[in-house]
Amino acid sequence: MNLEWLDAFLISGLFSVVVIIGLALLLHLQLGLTRIANFGVVGFFGIGMYSFGVMFTKVDWPFGDLPAFLISLAFGTLVAGLSGLLVGWLIADLDEDGVLVGTLGFATVVFILATTEQDLTGGALGLGGLKFPYDVGTVKADEFLWLIIVSIVVSLIFLYVWWVHRTPYGRLLIATGGNEPLARSLGKATFRTKLWLFAVGSAGMGLIGALFGVMERFLAPENLGIDVTLAAMVALVIGGTARAWGAVIGGFLIFGFFDIIVQSYIPFPKEWYGQAIPNAKLIVEGLVLMGVLLFRPLGILGAMQRDKLMRRVHG
Amino acid sequence: MSETNGTPMLEASGLRSGYHGVNVLKDISFEVGNEVFTVLGANGAGKTTLLATLARLIPSTAGSISFLGDDVTRIPAFETAARGMGYVPQERGVFPDLTVMENLTVGGMIGERSREERIEEVVELFPDLGNLGNQVAGTLSGGESRMVACGRALMQDPALLLLDEPTAGLSPLYVDMFFEKITEIHQDKGVGIILAEQNATKALEVADRVMVLSLGEAFAVMDAANLTTDQLKEGYRI
Repeated sequence: MNLEWLDAFLISGLFSVVVIIGLALLLHLQLGLTRIANFGVVGFFGIGMYSFGVMFTKVDWPFGDLPAFLISLAFGTLVAGLSGLLVGWLIADLDEDGVLVGTLGFATVVFILATTEQDLTGGALGLGGLKFPYDVGTVKADEFLWLIIVSIVVSLIFLYVWWVHRTPYGRLLIATGGNEPLARSLGKATFRTKLWLFAVGSAGMGLIGALFGVMERFLAPENLGIDVTLAAMVALVIGGTARAWGAVIGGFLIFGFFDIIVQSYIPFPKEWYGQAIPNAKLIVEGLVLMGVLLFRPLGILGAMQRDKLMRRVHG
Repeated sequence: MSETNGTPMLEASGLRSGYHGVNVLKDISFEVGNEVFTVLGANGAGKTTLLATLARLIPSTAGSISFLGDDVTRIPAFETAARGMGYVPQERGVFPDLTVMENLTVGGMIGERSREERIEEVVELFPDLGNLGNQVAGTLSGGESRMVACGRALMQDPALLLLDEPTAGLSPLYVDMFFEKITEIHQDKGVGIILAEQNATKALEVADRVMVLSLGEAFAVMDAANLTTDQLKEGYRI
């Protein structure tokens, strides 16, 4: 495959955008519909990434790479889902402050475990030995194929979110987020609903974390900074927390603009890429976020279009 | 204490509940049959706490609640609805991000009859809802919101409906309409009703029996026709 036209920065930039969109879509179900302010996105992302990495690199698999890879991927997703179940059980009945502190605390625990459990995670030195489950010739081709695979996974997540919006389950999530005591009085087991949603969302975040780890090929605690959570949250808030497309629009507008357009297509002096552009990126993200919150608090796409949705559902 | 005619639908005995360790309700005992049972009382008397306790949204600290012959004192709130208890809160009675029709369908997720049939009956009862189907509930007026909340509770096909001050803050036209609908719901649909109200005059017009709450205690439980103005004033501590 001739990929000379493809810049390594472009692949890396697109991959970051796709990962952020995937996390923001899952966060949309939790925050946008059900109003669970999960500030521990990176914790679930990280525990999935490290569980996958440890399983894949530390176990002496008796069979080939692909089955070992898939089992490790499933393991990482499962561990993240079970963590979501545990954390969700602890926070599901707490108020917003409690949810914030609880989820943030979980992310901190994961970061500390990744840093201190050297035998398993490699600690601050990191964990190497990860690789793609295929070899198509060159590193660039491998990365490009991985970008396509992860894009398909994120597209499936988008389709799931889009479908949820159109089902009674979606209405149940919105009802639970909008007025939980009322939903309970109508016969809805809201605790169970939130718990299940949180576990599934966390499993999805863990899966994305594992897929991210494969692209990195080297897991380090630096990947578990709060900026991952903030990136997903900023993308969602800017696009519109209540809309499935909000995560996609926000992800492309903010992270796509810098990670793809600025880095790949604007001929800034090379020395700017070290500090000036990353710093400018943070400043612009902050300014855009403030602008959106001030002038369009529901995000660029605005509120849910329930009326249009209803016409589609009921004719 | 006056008793219901026939088997009671709901019985509360020695009921206590409140918030943060403070009992608002103090040893309340009463029973409700298939009737309009009105709970009167001044602000702070405990009417909202009583209804929320019966709906299991607030845990009781003592006493028992029996509904349709089963002890429901410790069951979770979502099970009371499945057993046939509908609840319409005084405020925040709608899901603001859902449309009117979606609010109704959320109420119709339990029950055996077809949802369409139930929606038709609700729209027949509250014709205005037919024109508001696609409107987001958060944009409705107070009266419209109450209609949605009441209609959604009826979507559950309840045996007993708990109505917490459904006319509070509404214009006189809406107040009259709501009291007419309460009578209609009870007489035509056979639904028992516990109605918490401050508007004693109107509430007593539709009530079969009445309980006057005074500072969390049942000051009087009797046939509505027998309640005197003096008793009411004493109960309201006027």
